Amino acid sequence: MDFKLTEEQMEIKRAAREFAEKEFTPELALEYDQKEEFPMELYRKAAKLGFTGMRIPQEYDGQGYGVLEECLVVEEFCRVDPGLGVAVSLGNLMVPDVLLKHGTEEQKEKYIPPLARGDKIAAAAFTEPEHGSDITKMDTTAVKVGDEWVINGSKQFITNAPIADTFIILCQTDPNATPPHRGQSLFLAEKGMPGLEATKLQGKMGIRPCVTGSLALSDLRVPANNLVGELNRGFYYALELFDGTRITVAAQAVGIAQGAFEKALNHAKTRRQFGQPIINFQGVSFKLAEMAMKIESARLLTYKAAWIYDHEKPNPAATSMAKAYASRVAMEVTDDAIQIFGGYGYLADYHVERFHRCAKITEIYEGTNEIQKLTIVNFIQKQ
Amino acid sequence: MDIIVCVKHVPETAEAELKIDATGKGIEKAGLVFDINEWDDYALEEAVRMKEKFGGTVTAITVGPEDSESTLRKCLARGADKAIRLTDPKFASSDAYATAKILHSVIKNLHFDLILTGAQAGDDGSAVVGPVLAELLGIPHATMVKKIEFTNGKAIVNRELEGGLEERLEVKLPALFTVQTGINEPRYVSIMGIRKAMQKEVKVMGLADIGLSENDVGEAGSWLRIEKLYVPPVEKQTEFLKGSPDEIATKIVEILKSRGLI
Amino acid sequence: MAEIFVLAEHRQGQLRDITFEMLTKARELAEKANAEPAAVILGKNVKDYAKNLADYAKKVLLVEDEKLENFNSEAYQKVLSHLIKDYKPLLTIIGHTSYGVELAPRLAAALNIPLATDCIDLAFEGEAFTITRQMYSGKVNVKAALRKSESYMVTVRQAAFQAQKPPTPLNGQIVEVPSPLTEEIVTKRFLEYVLPPPGGVDITAAEVLVGIGRGIKDQSNIPMVEELAKTLGGVLACSRPIVDKGWLPSDRQVGTSGKTVKPKLYIALGISGAFQHVLGMKNSDLIIAVNKDPKAPIFSFSDYGVVEDLFKVVPVLKNKISDLKAQKGIA
Repeated sequence: MDFKLTEEQMEIKRAAREFAEKEFTPELALEYDQKEEFPMELYRKAAKLGFTGMRIPQEYDGQGYGVLEECLVVEEFCRVDPGLGVAVSLGNLMVPDVLLKHGTEEQKEKYIPPLARGDKIAAAAFTEPEHGSDITKMDTTAVKVGDEWVINGSKQFITNAPIADTFIILCQTDPNATPPHRGQSLFLAEKGMPGLEATKLQGKMGIRPCVTGSLALSDLRVPANNLVGELNRGFYYALELFDGTRITVAAQAVGIAQGAFEKALNHAKTRRQFGQPIINFQGVSFKLAEMAMKIESARLLTYKAAWIYDHEKPNPAATSMAKAYASRVAMEVTDDAIQIFGGYGYLADYHVERFHRCAKITEIYEGTNEIQKLTIVNFIQKQ
Repeated sequence: MDIIVCVKHVPETAEAELKIDATGKGIEKAGLVFDINEWDDYALEEAVRMKEKFGGTVTAITVGPEDSESTLRKCLARGADKAIRLTDPKFASSDAYATAKILHSVIKNLHFDLILTGAQAGDDGSAVVGPVLAELLGIPHATMVKKIEFTNGKAIVNRELEGGLEERLEVKLPALFTVQTGINEPRYVSIMGIRKAMQKEVKVMGLADIGLSENDVGEAGSWLRIEKLYVPPVEKQTEFLKGSPDEIATKIVEILKSRGLI
Repeated sequence: MAEIFVLAEHRQGQLRDITFEMLTKARELAEKANAEPAAVILGKNVKDYAKNLADYAKKVLLVEDEKLENFNSEAYQKVLSHLIKDYKPLLTIIGHTSYGVELAPRLAAALNIPLATDCIDLAFEGEAFTITRQMYSGKVNVKAALRKSESYMVTVRQAAFQAQKPPTPLNGQIVEVPSPLTEEIVTKRFLEYVLPPPGGVDITAAEVLVGIGRGIKDQSNIPMVEELAKTLGGVLACSRPIVDKGWLPSDRQVGTSGKTVKPKLYIALGISGAFQHVLGMKNSDLIIAVNKDPKAPIFSFSDYGVVEDLFKVVPVLKNKISDLKAQKGIA
């Protein structure tokens, strides 16, 4: 048993922290939160330094580390600013993952390196207007016509959709399959293909620099070799992806909580009321102690899930526990942080309200916490 | 070109609140963040850029406790090829002079064309180690350098003088330069750099390995012995303006009005 | 009687102020230590300086040589080593300037004379020679003793001591010492001075300066403070890190390596107050400092201090001043 990060992991954490602290300035964070734009320049800069390709093997221009190392980067980024942190760390979301596991060598060589280097942006289109938590059936269909697949349908809440160059799209390829999820497949598509249209979604509560959009797919034709892996296995590939990405969502949550906690701690030490720093009051200090405990336990769950993923076979329950718990902690801790700031906490300039707004998404995306609990229940029932 | 960079692991104190410790001779280190000395950061970057341009090696070297390892690791991740950490309890309380002697005892056995170091350290601000080391090695030096170029086996450097003035000097190599901030823009540590640095080792040496005696190092080998630290007396009694930003701004406006400034 | 040496500093035909600051302190120390202040002047055609220095010291050691025309630490080191070995001064005082920093450490090491740099006070206390200097960019003062020795050396901070003329000129004896330099210095040669690039703004002429430091955080925040400066009819100045980052040109830098300014109003925003900066602005008529750190050294030099985030104060202040101006414009 060893709870210590290795020297190399510590260095990764330090490097990510230094980059984020110098680049994610509070003013930039506020600016991007207001204008809801993807920080492209920042993303490229982070990518050139290797921060966005942690889990991609070196042969595809990535860094060849595991989920744990990726989590360390994501945590430090979100600790400094959740909006910019999430946006930058999700620039090449999921596509390299799925191609590494199931793509052909040709697909890997074509699509992964530009994503690893930050030259291109990826989007994974699973969710549909009528299918969020339940993706066991897709309304989007792909029909084979000659050497091509013709895709029709629409996708909703797709991270990076308006700016992505490379898409994976989950489609129903066998409408008669029972259960229906055995008839789903994943396809690669590229920006600019006729029939692929993205619309930006405005007005999100948090992570506003991370752009989200919907996709309208009308007679989108992709070559037959854009099928990822085997036909009718798409649903399983999607679930597999979540085992890893959900852990990084937990890391986002831990980072968000840590960042808000540090701000609150600092405020409690310097803000004076009734002639003394407010940290002298147990109403405040006990709250801080509770926050610290929660963050530490969320972090341990997250690191453990990451460690299992990297060293053993993926364990969906460990992943779901980390994701559901850490995201709840992020909500509670950021809420407490605002409370410690009092009236100031309600103002954008003091930043903690933004952390709170950003925390909420970690309870929702990549499977709501209710879905996580279902996974956990499945697991404990089998034990 | 083989370049040695002398670096120091120092606390970042520009925005930190400092407390004098119980001995009265140091500051409380708990809660302070340590990193590479700001001036050395520029020196390292300059060395790595030269290596990238001309080839050769960069060796980072420090005198300090075990913790200084992280600063050396950072140097390795940023492009240094080798690192040497000089650590020994006997080195504690070494001043700049003793530190220069320790560095000299090791560097004299290494091949180098150039030695770079920061113009000063953010903690003691002595600006002594570089030129003393040059004297001990018998090589020319220049301090507070803002630009380095090479022609015909010589270096042409710009030194910073006062009031925005600079002077250009021609210096024979091998030489030692102490680098002023702003000479370049230090790069970030990259993940690729960290991975590469993992293949590189930090060599650790103590008093027994460097051929100096106890009397050469620590307080015994130093020019200076600290008697006490204290908070500087205020030159001017500042009147602090308090209140909300709005109230403060109103007070400032009143002051400016009363002085006829607006 | 043993001497206290003061190395006169000159450049481009002028004795530098620090020379007289050092001579003043040397006179004070000499009285206590039963020694006499001696100025040391090296150069080419510097007899006039020697005469000037004679008013301030009991002795002036004058070394003239073509090779000393421009400052070269190696030439200076050879000459001073010779003089120090010959005279065995109790103490040698050199300025903590670009010249002193280049010269003193190496000279001290060569002669094995204990040295303390950047001192702000010096004292002979019984058997001991102690100095005061600063650490951690001016946040802490240190009192330290130099290792017991026949001879000591220090570099002193600019403006640490106030230059004063002796009540009556000391009529020091000018001793012309033949130059010990026999051959050209070839390892290090002075080539030329490089003047700062001609800038658009002369901050030394401005009546109102808004100075910014590290606390400004990002280049994108500069327009906001520039607005404030404009509203006050002033210009923007800065401390070193801002120039190092390339956010403002070097002609805006206030401090020892930049300009010395004396405006009617200096507003220091996010400047911690390292002495290099403070020396360039502390004589301003009115200084208002805004900094988040209540212990920032800048507050020891300001008339008014504001412990607050500059980003909260500056926009409000700017608006209030422009409102006021607008009202006056109407009236």
